[in-house]
Order: sequence, then structure tokens, then C-alpha cells
Amino acid sequence: MTARRRVIPYFLLTPGAAWLIVFFVVPMYYMARLSLNTGTLETGFTFNWEWSNYKDALSLYDQPFLRSFYYAGVATVIALAIGYPLAYAIAFKGGKWKNAMLFAVVAPFFTTYLIRTYAWQTILSDQSPVVDVLKALGLASSGHVLATGSAVIAGITYNFLPFMVLPIYASLERVDESLIEAAKDLYASSRSAFVKVTLPLSAPGIVAGTLLTFIPAAGDYVNAFFLGGANNKMIGNVIQGLYLTQRDYPAAAALSFVLMALIMVAVFIYIRFAGSEALMGEEAVGA
Amino acid sequence: MLSKRSRDHGTQGERHGPPGKRFAIALLALGASLGIAACGGGGGIGGGGSQNVETIHVSGKPSGEVTISNWPLYIDKQTVPDFEKKTGVQVKYIEDVNDNQEFFGKVQPLLAKGQSGGRSMFVVTDWMAKKMYDLGYLQNLDKSAIPNVEKNLVPNLQSPSFDPHRDFSVPWQSGMTGIIVRKDLAPDVTSICDLFDPKYKGKVDMLTEMRDTVPLVMKSGCNGNKPVDLNHATEADWLAAIDEIKGAADSGQIRRFTGNDYARDLTSGDAVAVIGWSGDAVQLQADNPDIEWRMPTEGCMLWSDNMVIPVGAPNPTAAEAWMNYVYDPTNQAQIEDYVNYVSPVSGTKEILLKQDPSVANNKLIFPSKQFTAKCDVAPTLTGDEEQKVTQAFDAVVSG
Repeated sequence: MTARRRVIPYFLLTPGAAWLIVFFVVPMYYMARLSLNTGTLETGFTFNWEWSNYKDALSLYDQPFLRSFYYAGVATVIALAIGYPLAYAIAFKGGKWKNAMLFAVVAPFFTTYLIRTYAWQTILSDQSPVVDVLKALGLASSGHVLATGSAVIAGITYNFLPFMVLPIYASLERVDESLIEAAKDLYASSRSAFVKVTLPLSAPGIVAGTLLTFIPAAGDYVNAFFLGGANNKMIGNVIQGLYLTQRDYPAAAALSFVLMALIMVAVFIYIRFAGSEALMGEEAVGA
Repeated sequence: MLSKRSRDHGTQGERHGPPGKRFAIALLALGASLGIAACGGGGGIGGGGSQNVETIHVSGKPSGEVTISNWPLYIDKQTVPDFEKKTGVQVKYIEDVNDNQEFFGKVQPLLAKGQSGGRSMFVVTDWMAKKMYDLGYLQNLDKSAIPNVEKNLVPNLQSPSFDPHRDFSVPWQSGMTGIIVRKDLAPDVTSICDLFDPKYKGKVDMLTEMRDTVPLVMKSGCNGNKPVDLNHATEADWLAAIDEIKGAADSGQIRRFTGNDYARDLTSGDAVAVIGWSGDAVQLQADNPDIEWRMPTEGCMLWSDNMVIPVGAPNPTAAEAWMNYVYDPTNQAQIEDYVNYVSPVSGTKEILLKQDPSVANNKLIFPSKQFTAKCDVAPTLTGDEEQKVTQAFDAVVSG
């Protein structure tokens, strides 16, 4: 009886575990193995612990790597700066328009990602009114915006903004307004009530939003492909090129692993320093 | 995209999973993957083909079914039904070639096993045909079945360096790679070197197709470099030209590297001069008279897309009948009138002069010998050179 009771939880785990194995562990295993192969597609690849694939790929493509993290970082910060006030306005001032405003945030998803990004080519085209304004403000130093890093960052920010807004909105929505009233009763100014009550309570949303924005942004290649120029390719573009045009599968696999490792390290550091407090905050609210 | 998604699951799984469960899953996973790996056995990806090239022996009249793979929008609507009516052969015409490299990546595993994936014939560019032939993936043609090719193939395509006797390849269409300009915005661009003029900084696109962009720069000798004779180009010459292109990309002179999508940049005026293909220019010019293809003063690149018959191809007899059919100038004129690239079949112009003089008199569709006097076919690279050069070029293209 007790033995069976011990087995049952593992038994319940089987569907999930099987899914994870077939669609995550097995592909990862093959990719890891491929990243240590030598050879070409024509002569066939052979597995022989070729660690230099990693070294070569990194030394050849260090620039796109740094650029990816830079673009993703800047886009995340901008998305936070735009997204937080927006989520705040919807959660606290939305009133009967709340659902309509949320719908407006999600509405772009009704069009495909590619088409939305492609549309930005027209928005940022050299002769567009938007760019004329930017030029007049002295914000387009190279004379054009499309095919620059700024265009790529703008595209990423635009495409991932909903991923920032929705989690922040969800956490702000759950904030008990009586806590803010209590703070004000205790002579807190609006500002300090926000800093000491609202902001900490919404921290889990901020952490979730930044992660949901940064992680896919760092691996993105669509924005750099459509909006970037000759010097704005991200690591995703490099991996795509290695896989499809150079057909250097081992190098592509090695780069994918390095990208994944770097993102995981960045995320762990982030959660350790910024996240732990925020996640504790969530538990405190729950309790 | 796919790997990114699975990666997200990974971090979440590890973040939320208690250590015991995680360990159990890892063990399960390890066991499963080892099991699968063991089942997989040898094989692996890739593997070279045999070096003994087979030769087709055409027997009897063409019949049955034939499957032809070609690039999109590379044939008119009437030719296939006409051929079916005339020969009784059923044609399955599929447009699944979009890019030489990608197509190769797709069919290579099959070809290495001596299979063609049901294709009786497909169409690839010169260098790719050569590469496939060297790997033993293509068959030699039975020339007795294609007298029209022998008779009507234009002289300048009869003995290209990659296939001097046209043993395994027959051109489908040819084209020129040169400069496409916006006449109103860059009236004085006439040479490849003009593309490096700081006046057009950030307004120049070059092709991601290495065998177009690099040889053009190489033979032009811009920026104080010596022009290279493409027939004697060395690996160092390729790398030097790639370096020159890298300099222009780093300085912001080159806006971006494109495929056909330079059309958008030219139309919007974001780019005013690009390296581009003649057939595209004919179509772009029809929509916007300010767009014009120009023969670079240094000359252009010439290329052909070739019909080839792969190993394991079903019904090669009917495939050769198709080759012979499209090399009849009357049939070719019908294709040419729609496609607007350069026809490899002599006698086509004479027929089109009567049917559609505007096409027949377009020098981009029927270029004269003098017009293409300084043009070259891209030099071939050996396997080792190809890998190094492609890697260097791809590093520039992917910034």
C-alpha cells in the first residue's frame, strides 16, 4: 500500500516526462552531439569531441553575440519604460475601458509576426514622415533609420512590448488597493506609497516581463533581417546562415548552445539579484 | 524559433522542479536517448556519393510520368500542357527550388543514398550543378535523345569551364548580374567602383549570392586594388575582395545585403544603386521607368540555371524528351515571352520578332555579343577553397 502510494506520483508524471524527453531532451542530446562533430555535409559528419567548434564559432562571431545582448537589453529597458506606465494606467485608471485597452495591447498578434515587422520597413523608410521628424530632431545621425541598429531595437521593442505589459498588468491588477490607502492614511505621499507599496508588489510582474522580453529578443533574427543593415546582424541570423547556407551544422549547434548557456547565466544572475526579492514579495502577498 | 521555445521550457523546468524529480527526469532522459542512439546505428548525416558517374541510355519513345523541379515563375502556363499533348507524357511540374544552397541542403541526404525524391529532373545554377556532379549526384546525358540541344544551344554556352562538353547539364535560362540604379537618384553610377563612392553612402545594396557579388568586385579592382582576371583568381584574391566588401559594410557604405528584396529598396528609394539581376530589372522597369539595369563598365557576371538529371531519377527518357522539346525555338519563344531572362536557344529571337517585338528587341533579354563582351562566368572553387571563402563571406553578410 505504501509502496504503491510512493509510485503513484511518479506514474502521474509519465505523460509530462515523456513529452519533455521526446521534445526537449532528445533534440537537445542530438544537438549537443552534433556540436562536437567534424566534417562537412558532403563528406558526412563524424562525432569526435571537437570542442574547438565552440572556440572557433565564438572567436568568429563574438560581435553578433555582444550585439544581440546589447539590442535585447536596450529593447527590454525601453519596453519596461513604456510598458509599466501603460500597465499601470490600464490596471488602475482603465475603468470600463480596461478590457478594450487590453485588447488593444494584444491586437497586433492577430497579424503574423513577419508582416508586422515588414510593415516597419515602410514606417522607417528613408522618405517616410516619421524619419523626417527624427531627422529634424537630430536623431538620425547617419541620415537614415532603416538598416541601422536603432531600427532593429525599435522593432524588437514593438514586437515584444505585449510580453512586458501583460505580466506587469496581471501583478498590478492583484494589488490590494486598501494597502495603498493604508499607506496614505499613514501619511505617505502618493510618490512614496507607489515606491514602497505598489512597486514592490508589482515586482514579480516586472521580473516576468523582463524575462519574457529579453530571452526571446536575444535569440531573435527576424527584426535584424528586415530592419537591420549590413552591420546589425544578431546571433540568430548567424545561426540561420550557418545552418541553411554554409550548412555547417556543428558550428550552428555550438553557437546555439553558447547562446542558450549565456542566456541562462544572465537569467540566473538576474533572478539572484533582482528576482529573489520580487519573488519573495509574491509569496508575502500570497501569505 | 523552435529551439528558442524548447529552451524556455528548459529554464522553467529547472527553475521550478525540486531536485529529486529533476534527477529522475534526467535519468529517464539519459536512458531514453541512449536507447534511441543505439537503435539509430551507423548512417549519420551526409556521406559522400559514388564517384562513378552513370550515363543515361534512352530507350524507346517517351511515355509515363515525369517530375520536374524548377524555380518559381520560371515557365509560362501553356508549355507543360502542350508538351503533354504532343508526347503523351504526364508532367508533374513542381516549383520547389528557391535557393541553390537550401535546395542542396534539402535533397543532399537523398542523393547521397542514390535517390532523387521522385524527381526526374531539377534546375540549379552552374556552380551547384558542378558541385553535385563532382559528388556523383548527377547522371551523364544521352545526347542522341536531345538533337535540338546540339543544334540550337547558343555558342557562348556550349563549353563552359564547369562542363566543357555539356555532358550533364543543359541551360534552362541564363541571365546577367550587373547594376540596377534609380536613374533619378543616382544618374552617374555606371561602374561597380561607383558603388563605393561616398556620395551614395548607405544607399547601396549588394547581393547575398557570393558568386555574383565577390567576382564583380574582384574583377573591377576598385579602391586602388588591381583588377583580377577571373580565370586565374586565387583564394587570396577572393579573400581580398571579401575584405574590401567588409570595409564598405563596416563604414556604412553598403546598406544591406539582399536577395531579390533589393526590389523594395529600389522602389522606395532607400537604395539608389544595387547589384542585381537582369530579368528582375526587366520586370521592375515595367512598373517604375526610373529603375534601369546598367552594364557595369567593368563587365557583368553571366550565369545559367541548368536542367540536370539526378541519380535514381525515374523516367530519364521522358526527362530528355522535355529537354529536347524546350530547345525547339518555337516552344522556347513561348517560355521566353513570359520569363524575360536570357534564352539559351538560338532562333528564339527571330520567332519573337514576329510575335512580340518589344521582347525580341530588349537588349537585356537578347544581349548582343558586344554587349556582354566583358562579362564572365563565376570561377569555380575547390571544396577546400569554397569552405574558407564561403565562411569569410558569410561572416561579412551576417555582420
